[in-house]
Amino acid sequence: MLEKFKREWLTDPVTNLMAGLVVALALIPEAIAFSIIAGVNPMVGLYASFLIAVIISIVGGRPAMISAATGAIALLVVPLVKEHGVDYLLAATILMGIIQILLGILKVGKLMKFIPNSVMIGFVNALAIMIFMAQIEHIFGVSIHTYIYVIATLLILYVLPRFFKKVPAPLIALVVLTGIYMIFGSNVGTVGDLGNIEQSLPSFFIPDVPFTMETLMIILPYSVSMAIVGLVESLLTARIVDNATDTFSSKNKESRGQGIANFITGFFGGMGGCAMIGQSVINVRSGATTRLSTFTAGVILMFLIIVLGEWVVQIPMPILAGIMVMVSIGTFDWNSFKYVAKAPRTDAFVMLITVILVLFTSNLAIGVIVGVIFSALFFATKISKVDVTLEDSRNAVTLSFAGQIFFASIDTMISQIEFKQYDKPVQLDFSNAHLWDDSAVDAVDTIVRKFEEKGNTVYIKKLNTDSRKIVKELSQLNEQHLT
Amino acid sequence: MYKSILLAADGSENSIRAAKETLNFANEDTEITILNITDPADAKNDVLHSSPAESAVHHRKEKLSDVIHIYETNGVPYKIRYEQGAPDETVVSVANNGEFQLVVLGSRGLNSLQEMVMGSVSHKVAKRANIPVMIVK
Repeated sequence: MLEKFKREWLTDPVTNLMAGLVVALALIPEAIAFSIIAGVNPMVGLYASFLIAVIISIVGGRPAMISAATGAIALLVVPLVKEHGVDYLLAATILMGIIQILLGILKVGKLMKFIPNSVMIGFVNALAIMIFMAQIEHIFGVSIHTYIYVIATLLILYVLPRFFKKVPAPLIALVVLTGIYMIFGSNVGTVGDLGNIEQSLPSFFIPDVPFTMETLMIILPYSVSMAIVGLVESLLTARIVDNATDTFSSKNKESRGQGIANFITGFFGGMGGCAMIGQSVINVRSGATTRLSTFTAGVILMFLIIVLGEWVVQIPMPILAGIMVMVSIGTFDWNSFKYVAKAPRTDAFVMLITVILVLFTSNLAIGVIVGVIFSALFFATKISKVDVTLEDSRNAVTLSFAGQIFFASIDTMISQIEFKQYDKPVQLDFSNAHLWDDSAVDAVDTIVRKFEEKGNTVYIKKLNTDSRKIVKELSQLNEQHLT
Repeated sequence: MYKSILLAADGSENSIRAAKETLNFANEDTEITILNITDPADAKNDVLHSSPAESAVHHRKEKLSDVIHIYETNGVPYKIRYEQGAPDETVVSVANNGEFQLVVLGSRGLNSLQEMVMGSVSHKVAKRANIPVMIVK
C-alpha cells in the first residue's frame, strides 16, 4: 500500500512537478476557451479544471493522465446553459458524477472494448470539427485586428517551437500578444467581455435549482450524455497514456474517479469535465509518470489565476481562438483520409456516420451510440454467413456446414438446403460450425425433421463440445441422430 | 574499433541502412545498443489505428526485427533499450550519458510530416551530442 503510494506519487518528483507546471500553463487558455464555448463565466471552467485535476490525481485510475474542463463536455451543454442557466449546468454536472460512479461500480470499463476503432476515430474527428466551428464566430467578421491577432497566434504556435521549446508556445502567444494588446490596444473582444475573473478559491454551494421532478427531467438527458462522453474520452485517453508509457491502468477505477471528481466539482461551481488527450500527451512527453504531475497542474492553475486574474480578463479573444484552432488540429485524426480509403467499407462507413451524426445533433454521445449500433449490426451481418456444401459419396450424402449458426444466420443457412429424398443416409457435418443459441438448435431440429419427412435417415456428425451441450439441453433430437 | 555504439533505430529503411553501416565499425568486442524511442505524441495514432489486443512491446520488437537480424547474422553483440519521450531530446540525453563512444542514426525517420514541422531529429542530435555522431544517408 505504502509502496504503491510512493511509486504513484513520489517517483522522480522534480520531473513530475515540471511537467505539471507545463500542463497548468497550457490548461489556462483551454479552460477559459471551453467556458466560452459552453456560454458560462470563465471561472466555471477554471474552477472545474482545478478541482477535477486535483481530485482525479487522488481518486483516478490512471497516474499521469490529465483531466479538466473539456471541449467535449462544453459542446454538449450549450443548449442547457442557453435555456436554463449555469445553475442547471452545475446540477447536471453533479448528476453526471453520480451516473459515472454507478457505471464505474457496474464495471463499465470492460464495455469499452465494444467501441471499435472506427467509432473512436469518428469521435475525435467530430470533436475536432466542432471545436473548430465554435471558433468561427470569434475569428471571422469581427475586425481586421482580430485576423491579425489570430494569424500572429498561429505563427507563434507553429513556428516558434522549431527554435525554442522550453516554454509552451501557447503560453508565449498568450503573454506576448496580451502584452501587445495592453500597450497598444485594439479593436478586439477580450475575456473580460464575457465575464469576471474571481481571484479566490472555489467555495461550496448547492446549485440554485428547484428540487423537482421537472428539474430532473431537464438535466437528466444532459447528464447521461455528459457521463457517456466523459467516460468515452477518459477511457480512450487512458488507453493512449497506457500505450505511451507501456503500463496498464484500471479502467473501472478511472470511471469511478471521473464520477467522484465531477460530483464534487458541481458543488463548487465548476462544470463537468473528463480526461484530455492533448494535455495528457503533453504531460507524458514532459516525462510525467506519477499522480503528482496531475495534482501540480491543478494547483498551479488555481494559483496563477488567483495571482494573475486581473491580467486574464485582458486576454484578447482571437488569441484563445487561435489556440483552439491548434487544439482542434491536434485532436483530429489526420490518418483518417487514408483510413477511409483503405479500411473495410463498413468501418469507413461507421466512422463517417459517427462524424455526420455528431455534426447534425451537436451531441457526441449520440454519435458514439449509433456508431456502436451500426458496427454491431455490420459485425452480425458479416459473421452470419453460413456456407452449406453438399457432397454425394458412395454410401452417404454429406451436408457440411461452415460458420456461426445463431438467430441471424439460420435463414440464409436453411435456404441453401434442398430437401428431397436421397437413396442413402444424409449426414449433417458440423465440424466447421458452431451452434450458439436456442434458434440454432431449433434450426437443426427443423433440418432433420424436413429430411425425415422426405423419408431420409439423418445423422448429425462432429458437433463441437459446446454445440453438443446445447443440443443435448434444448433439442428434441434423440441420441440416435448424434454420432 | 569502437567498444560501445549507440544506434537510434525506429525500424525504418533509414535505420536499417544505419545498422548496416555500423558493421564497418564493429566486431565481436563491440557492444551495440539499439535505442528505440516511443514518442507519446504518436500514442493517439497507435491506439486509434491498431487492434487493442496487440501489446505495445510486441509491436516494437517486431518493428526492430530487421535491425536485430543484421546483428544476429553478423555475430555482433547487441542489446535493446526502450525509452519514451521526444525523439531528438531522448537520443541526445542517452548519447550524452557517458556510456557510448559513437551515436549512429538514419538521416530521416518514419514520420516526414512531423519532421517538416519540427525540424529533423538528426540535425538536432548532430548539434547537441557530445560524442561523435554519424548520420547515415
